[in-house]
Amino acid sequence: MLNVQLCQLRLNKLNPLQALILFFSITLLTPTTVTAASENEFADDSWDEIVAAAKGGEVNWFMWGGSDDINRYVSDFVGGLLKKRYDITLNRVGINDTVEAVNLVLGEKEAGNTDSGSVDLIWINGENFRSMKQGDMAFCGYLDAMPNNALIDWENDSIANDFGVPVDGCEVPWSKAQFAFAYDEKRTDTPPTTIAALIDWVTKNPGRFTYPAPPDFSGSVFVRHVFYHAAGGVKNLLVDFDQALFDEVAAKTWQILNDMKPALWRAGRTYPQSITQLDQMFANSEVDITFSYDPSSVGLKIENGSYPATTKGFVMTDGTIGNTSYTLIPFNSPNKAAAIVLQNLLTSDEAQYQKALPEVWGTMPAIDLSRISDEYKDKFNTLERHPSVVSEAELAEVALPELQSSWITAIEEGWKENVAR
Amino acid sequence: MPRLGRLRARKIRFQRLTPWLLLLPALIVIVPLFAGGLAAGLLRSFNYMPVIGLDSPNLAAYSALLRDDEFLPSLLLTTYIALTSTVIASLLALGAVLMIRRLNAGRSLINFLLQLNLTIPHLVGAVGIVYLFSQSGSFARLALHAGFINEPQQFPALIYDPAAIGIILVYVWKELPFIALILLASLQQGGEEFEAVARTLGASRWQVLRFVTLPNLLPALLASSMIVLAFTFGAYEIPALLGAYYPAPLPVLAYRKFTDVDLASRPEAIAISMIIAVLSLIFVLLYAHITRRQIEN
Amino acid sequence: MHTLREGRLKTDMTTSVHRTQSSRQTPAPVLLAFALMIIWLVLPLVPIVVWSFAKRWFFPDLVPGEWSLQAWQYLFSPVSGLGKAISASLAIAIPVTLLSCCIGIPAGRALACYNFRGKRAVQLLVLAPVLVPGIAVITGLHGIMLNLELNNQLAGVIVAHLIPALPYMILVMASTFARFDTEFEAQARTLGANTFQVFTRVTLPAILPGIVIGALFTFLVSWSQYILTLIVGGGRVVTLPLLLFNFVSAGRNDVAGALGVIFILPGLIILIAVARFISGRSGIAELPSRL
Repeated sequence: MLNVQLCQLRLNKLNPLQALILFFSITLLTPTTVTAASENEFADDSWDEIVAAAKGGEVNWFMWGGSDDINRYVSDFVGGLLKKRYDITLNRVGINDTVEAVNLVLGEKEAGNTDSGSVDLIWINGENFRSMKQGDMAFCGYLDAMPNNALIDWENDSIANDFGVPVDGCEVPWSKAQFAFAYDEKRTDTPPTTIAALIDWVTKNPGRFTYPAPPDFSGSVFVRHVFYHAAGGVKNLLVDFDQALFDEVAAKTWQILNDMKPALWRAGRTYPQSITQLDQMFANSEVDITFSYDPSSVGLKIENGSYPATTKGFVMTDGTIGNTSYTLIPFNSPNKAAAIVLQNLLTSDEAQYQKALPEVWGTMPAIDLSRISDEYKDKFNTLERHPSVVSEAELAEVALPELQSSWITAIEEGWKENVAR
Repeated sequence: MPRLGRLRARKIRFQRLTPWLLLLPALIVIVPLFAGGLAAGLLRSFNYMPVIGLDSPNLAAYSALLRDDEFLPSLLLTTYIALTSTVIASLLALGAVLMIRRLNAGRSLINFLLQLNLTIPHLVGAVGIVYLFSQSGSFARLALHAGFINEPQQFPALIYDPAAIGIILVYVWKELPFIALILLASLQQGGEEFEAVARTLGASRWQVLRFVTLPNLLPALLASSMIVLAFTFGAYEIPALLGAYYPAPLPVLAYRKFTDVDLASRPEAIAISMIIAVLSLIFVLLYAHITRRQIEN
Repeated sequence: MHTLREGRLKTDMTTSVHRTQSSRQTPAPVLLAFALMIIWLVLPLVPIVVWSFAKRWFFPDLVPGEWSLQAWQYLFSPVSGLGKAISASLAIAIPVTLLSCCIGIPAGRALACYNFRGKRAVQLLVLAPVLVPGIAVITGLHGIMLNLELNNQLAGVIVAHLIPALPYMILVMASTFARFDTEFEAQARTLGANTFQVFTRVTLPAILPGIVIGALFTFLVSWSQYILTLIVGGGRVVTLPLLLFNFVSAGRNDVAGALGVIFILPGLIILIAVARFISGRSGIAELPSRL
């Protein structure tokens, strides 16, 4: 097409400049029409109708692809069941960062692609969900047609709100996660278990601690923990963004982080640029503490050899932040029925239990365990976590909510201006 | 006679067309894709898209870049990385080539290794360099066992560092063989005879090097380093993997802004791309200048 | 034939120069530099290979705490998508190479065998994509490809890869044809050969080494391409470099190491297979200094 147009232009004997302008006005500037996502397309369909529509189809699921364990669970277990029971092919698309998938949908929307997008499902939460929802790029309002929606406790604030943004039926919870720290028993006798103690520990052990520079996801959560500490608790912060309150708490936070700087790794002159880098530095004794938003990852990383066997997970007694991650269908997915069937399968007790097995992934279920079958209730009750992973009860005891995205953005920007340089 | 003359004229006209016919497929690919891509980028970077209502071109994207705290440090860092890598790789390659020529055995081994290196993707080279040079990498481990250091932090910070040493190491590793192979080829194009002549005329080894070998190598050296300079200026993967958190080199900054959820930063990303393109086009012209001089000589 | 003979003569002279040099002992500093160079070239590859079989290899252990095949087992399980990535990489690199051959051979001939107005400009235009980084072109091209619906699929990625790959082919072919004497073709024609015969019997054998080298280059440029595939492929076209980047940025040294080994293999195999074309004076690399 590209070539044909150019040849035509040549035949018309335009001067090169005219030809160029014409060429771009044809190709680049074709008007784009964007229609709003049609909602409730499936709301009135019965489940059987959806399953029938999905049969023989495929789902392109975009998700972070850097964990062989998660990849294996999704491709083998979930993909296997999906094929066997519903004759749907699961195509797992591994990406580096969820924002890549969001961008893909965004680009398609810009180009006027409203029904033949390339993404059918995204593993998503937080900022990316906000972008999808605010940009009218999420497919919403079909949840009632999904049988396993009954297992989800929408009364629970931490499920019904994704980083302060109401879910409004635009995504389905998949896993719960909570921030947890890790240390190596061989190197550290007793790790600090409050943020205050950690700050103290850092100054007493110069060079043995650092955190990834926000906007790295984990680094940003760490800074939020300090922010909560500076605010004297999270209670006052769970409101719409308040500049005066932010300025007051932020000043204290930057003070703490800047005081900490000389005692950080490489004297705070630089920070790791990703949680991966921090993890590797921890494994190689360059620093003594690491952390993760997925507490079960300690177990997986010990087993796959990324962490020393003597690594132990721990939490701060003054609380660690938790969140829920979801799956979302973009507005222009051409395989919505199949994607809904997949979401239903993902929220089944069977799939959630498999995911919770420590040797599989070990992550916390997002469904309400009081609503599941007795068989799986028993199974969940007798589930043993990896010995190095913080117990669920311990995590639940100290769980803290996430802030709204506007706060998070302000903290990340403030860190860049006041701490980074 | 007139008929013959016309035939001849037609033949000459046809011959004049022949190179263009041969070039046509290549031009059909390169002009719309390369020149077209650049032109489209240029229009977008000026926010000029009449069809969607943007019909007054402006410099908003460029002025936003200048206001961005990260842009200038990023430009400086990128220039520094490109210049340092190119100079080091060129000098080492020159030394290597002079060394290789004095070898009796092992030439074919080193030739093979140079060519092998040429086939290895940068990404793989980067992985290898990290394993070797990080503060807990192979060299740090050797240093510890040799008693030079007691813990990783005492080993010099070479990877993920603000001085971008890790990035430069990867580039030197990858580009040294590239330049060396070009130099070797250029030497084989007849340079060695001149040296032999100079020798028989009684020139000392130093004089041969200074007045025959180096001038002979210079154009190829400059041309190949210009290619390396342009490449190291615009490559994405290596700084994305091995860079420090701040500032990000220009290509990384461009990609970040290009994929930012905030669509407003796309023109900025494309503006960075245009700056990269303009600077590398300057490299092209320099290259043309250098090689033209070579032809004239 | 006289050009060929001249070439051989040159080589003979060069070897005789070597011979006079080699009667002397190689000095120790040169030997040391030689050893250092060999080590420097090979060294980064060593930990990649070792890591692919390693588990729990922490500071300050010089050898892995455990040997393990887990990375290879994972990669060769259907989950990893390695097969798909390799086929995607090949399904892009092979068409790119073939297209570049078809387009680049005539173009190379035009640049080497003809003098015409605007030749210098065309040379620069051909060279420019080698020097102007892909990211500078693709951010602008992205919008056009989006409208042509070439994004997120193999066809679009192939088109995008042509930008950096094709110039290499043209440059190699230009340098090959510069050493090719078109008089041979004229002679063959006067001896009664038709155009097809002239090409297959005279031209092709003479330029084959150049084609092989050009194809090797083009293949490798496409094979190692990351950013163009990422932007144009939009995550849907997952090639080997994307898979590798995924695991490198996730810190899985073992899987990254094994992928690195797999990544190097085709280049190595092709290199060994075509070594005879590259060795000696036919230079892959002399081209840039030609234009």
